Amino acid sequence: MSPEVKILDGNTFVVSDDRGDIEASLTDPTGLFSFDTRFLSKWVLTLDGQRLNPLSVDDLQYFETRFFLVPGTGTVYIDAKTSVIRQRAVGGGFHEELTILNHDEKAIDVEARIEAGSDFADLFEVKDALKKQGEYYSRVDDGRLVLGYRRDTYVRETWVSATAACAIDEHGLTFSVHVEPHGEWTTDLHVTLGRGVGGTSVAEPKYERRAKKARPNMERSLEKWLEEAPTLACDWDPLKRTYQRSLVDLAALRFSPVSLPGHYLPAAGLPWFMTMFGRDSIFTSLQALPFTPELAQTTLVALGLWQGSHRDDFRDEDPGRILHELRFGEMTAFEERPHSPYYGSVDATPLYVVLLDEYERWTGDVKLVRALEQQARAALTWIDDYADLQGNGYIAYQRRNEQTGLENQCWKDSWDSISYRDGRLPGFPRATCELQGYAYDAKMRGARLARAIWRDPAFADRLEKEAAELKRRFNRDFWVEDGQYYALALEADGSMVDALASNNGHLLWSGIVDRGRAKAVAGHLMSPAMYSGWGVRTLAVGEARYNPIGYHVGTVWPFDSSIVAWGLRRYGFKEEAARIAAGILDAAEFFDGRLPEAFGGYPRELTKYPVQYPTACSPQAWSTGAPLLLLRTMLGLEPTGDHLIVDPVLPSGIGRLELLDIPGRWGKMDAFGRGRVDVDKRPRSRSQLGVLPPDEAKRRGGARGKSKGA
Amino acid sequence: MTEPTRAFFERLAEQQQPFLKSLTGVVRLDLVDAERTEHWYLAIRKGDVTVSHEGPEPDCVVSTELATFDAIVKGDMNAMAAVLRGAVDVRGDFRFVTALQQLFAGSTKAPDVPTAGYARRPS
Repeated sequence: MSPEVKILDGNTFVVSDDRGDIEASLTDPTGLFSFDTRFLSKWVLTLDGQRLNPLSVDDLQYFETRFFLVPGTGTVYIDAKTSVIRQRAVGGGFHEELTILNHDEKAIDVEARIEAGSDFADLFEVKDALKKQGEYYSRVDDGRLVLGYRRDTYVRETWVSATAACAIDEHGLTFSVHVEPHGEWTTDLHVTLGRGVGGTSVAEPKYERRAKKARPNMERSLEKWLEEAPTLACDWDPLKRTYQRSLVDLAALRFSPVSLPGHYLPAAGLPWFMTMFGRDSIFTSLQALPFTPELAQTTLVALGLWQGSHRDDFRDEDPGRILHELRFGEMTAFEERPHSPYYGSVDATPLYVVLLDEYERWTGDVKLVRALEQQARAALTWIDDYADLQGNGYIAYQRRNEQTGLENQCWKDSWDSISYRDGRLPGFPRATCELQGYAYDAKMRGARLARAIWRDPAFADRLEKEAAELKRRFNRDFWVEDGQYYALALEADGSMVDALASNNGHLLWSGIVDRGRAKAVAGHLMSPAMYSGWGVRTLAVGEARYNPIGYHVGTVWPFDSSIVAWGLRRYGFKEEAARIAAGILDAAEFFDGRLPEAFGGYPRELTKYPVQYPTACSPQAWSTGAPLLLLRTMLGLEPTGDHLIVDPVLPSGIGRLELLDIPGRWGKMDAFGRGRVDVDKRPRSRSQLGVLPPDEAKRRGGARGKSKGA
Repeated sequence: MTEPTRAFFERLAEQQQPFLKSLTGVVRLDLVDAERTEHWYLAIRKGDVTVSHEGPEPDCVVSTELATFDAIVKGDMNAMAAVLRGAVDVRGDFRFVTALQQLFAGSTKAPDVPTAGYARRPS
């Protein structure tokens, strides 16, 4: 298979081979996709019946690419007299500028043909190779080729047209091309979503030939996005590259929900998870808060709009529950899948309240907190009234949709992620530990909002009382005495699912950990069994199911590690948090600044580089957010009242770290950190942060927060 | 007008609708019954809804067969899936549909039973 080339705009994206061609089979994930539906499964260019050969591909932007091609097949280089350029930009379908160049002294006549077709597959069908139930049609209509699919009232159409003269038939467009010596011929090809969701129709693609039409979305352009983000200055160059990469990838991951046009929230991953995911959108918004708070704002509003209103077993919906995933394809339309939306996650709801509070602490946007009071209260009510499936006061999960619902509704959602030390799997309902931490935090933060903004001190008192009670019980019921850490989960009968896992770090972040136990927990997280040198393993070495390349049972997830680092900071373990930052940021350098979803849990000394775990989506939103959160933890950024506290502890190897123009309720602030560098470093040894002994990672310089006016 | 639809409009006008609190605007419902189309204007203002047969230029137009609308307000049909299926046509501001879906779904269903079978509070 030829290498894949992907470009994207929101949930519309094109995956093609390196010639720019699309030849999809049902299971092959290439094509033009929008709203979880494939609108083109065939798009093949030929000259005189011959396919073309790629010379190069220029990835211009995440939404735009250019293919350089020559005629002829085979692997031997041909001294071509003709070359072809396809420049493609995605948006509302795509726009393709097709240019044929004649390098000869004689004029040429050639027949250029674009074969076009669509199977209108639902993403879920592509994944599971399912058969279509409706009917296809194709016609030439008003100078354009119409490809269509109909099943009852469900209709989707793709429209294809060109600016140059051509013959259109039901399978494509044919151009009789004449090119003068050393001349060129060109046409614009328009592929649009002629009939889409809710009967919408896009007549013209978003992007046109640049000379003709200014780019829309100008106000949200990539340049502006980068300009508005805080500026990073640092004497360790790889961090600057990673930061830049994160910002660009985050821009690509922005997704504007249909219910909030012009506003953006982070989708989960590119390209297959370009949709609203409660958990992923919330975590990424949290990570990015000091940099781009508007992502959190849109996430809160959009998830609030979709908050569950009643019991629906098919969708695992309850009143107050925050959605897990929203999809728009045919299988969702005909309720063969529950994603309209699906509510099967149990962490998104408490995390919604956590995000609302954290957002207000940074931005001071009291107005939004007031507007979402109802939603926040409903989320807090859900925790007590609908999530207590074991009847013991803890959040637990068990799906009600047995056919197409999710079995594991926490972030470690693979089948074997929750286990006992000896490898046994617990039954359902399952109460994983981090959920209790999130619930505790949601109650504490909800109490703050109730007192400070909703003016309901009685509610605040009640929440604080409940939180204290939850903390007391949790520390009694989940503490593994002989191991000195918190169990991964609790079974319905009260048995502790006693494996040691990274979830302990999330507990630190939530604040549910008793002060006296924090040291032991931090010790575990930084122990050789858990800290690989790159990051924190999802499951500790020594547990029966530990596997360094097991999805949630031994790999390192950069997102997970960034939360662990935040948790360590919360309990004052600044050096330890800096060590985790060092490992993850070193790893990022191996991936050109783009951290994968997960990498192998092998010890750093063994592999010398992080071994990537193969996943379909890259970039992944919360991996993209990890370096941002690590910047926050290294600098010790903490909003307090109208001020931003800066308390940096940098990993050894970073001497100077500055983050300028951090937006917030204070206006803009700058944060400065000074650290220690080893000046006796051997010449030409690669500069990595995490290879120096941890006890050297001590702060030397000071810090200052400088206000630039509110 | 059919009974479920009438009940829905009554409930809409009588109660405060917290889900619509952050929205202000007008939704026109076009309900098609054989050859006849009934137009209903829902004027939404901070959670209060006024229902009438006349109104200003709507922010959002929702059109569907009366039978489909009945099924939706009875809670037998999911509104979002119906929109995706093309059984309900939406023009204009989608936020209203998102908010209305929550009202549809909860309108005439049996009362919610929290954590059925497990509902025991810890001591």
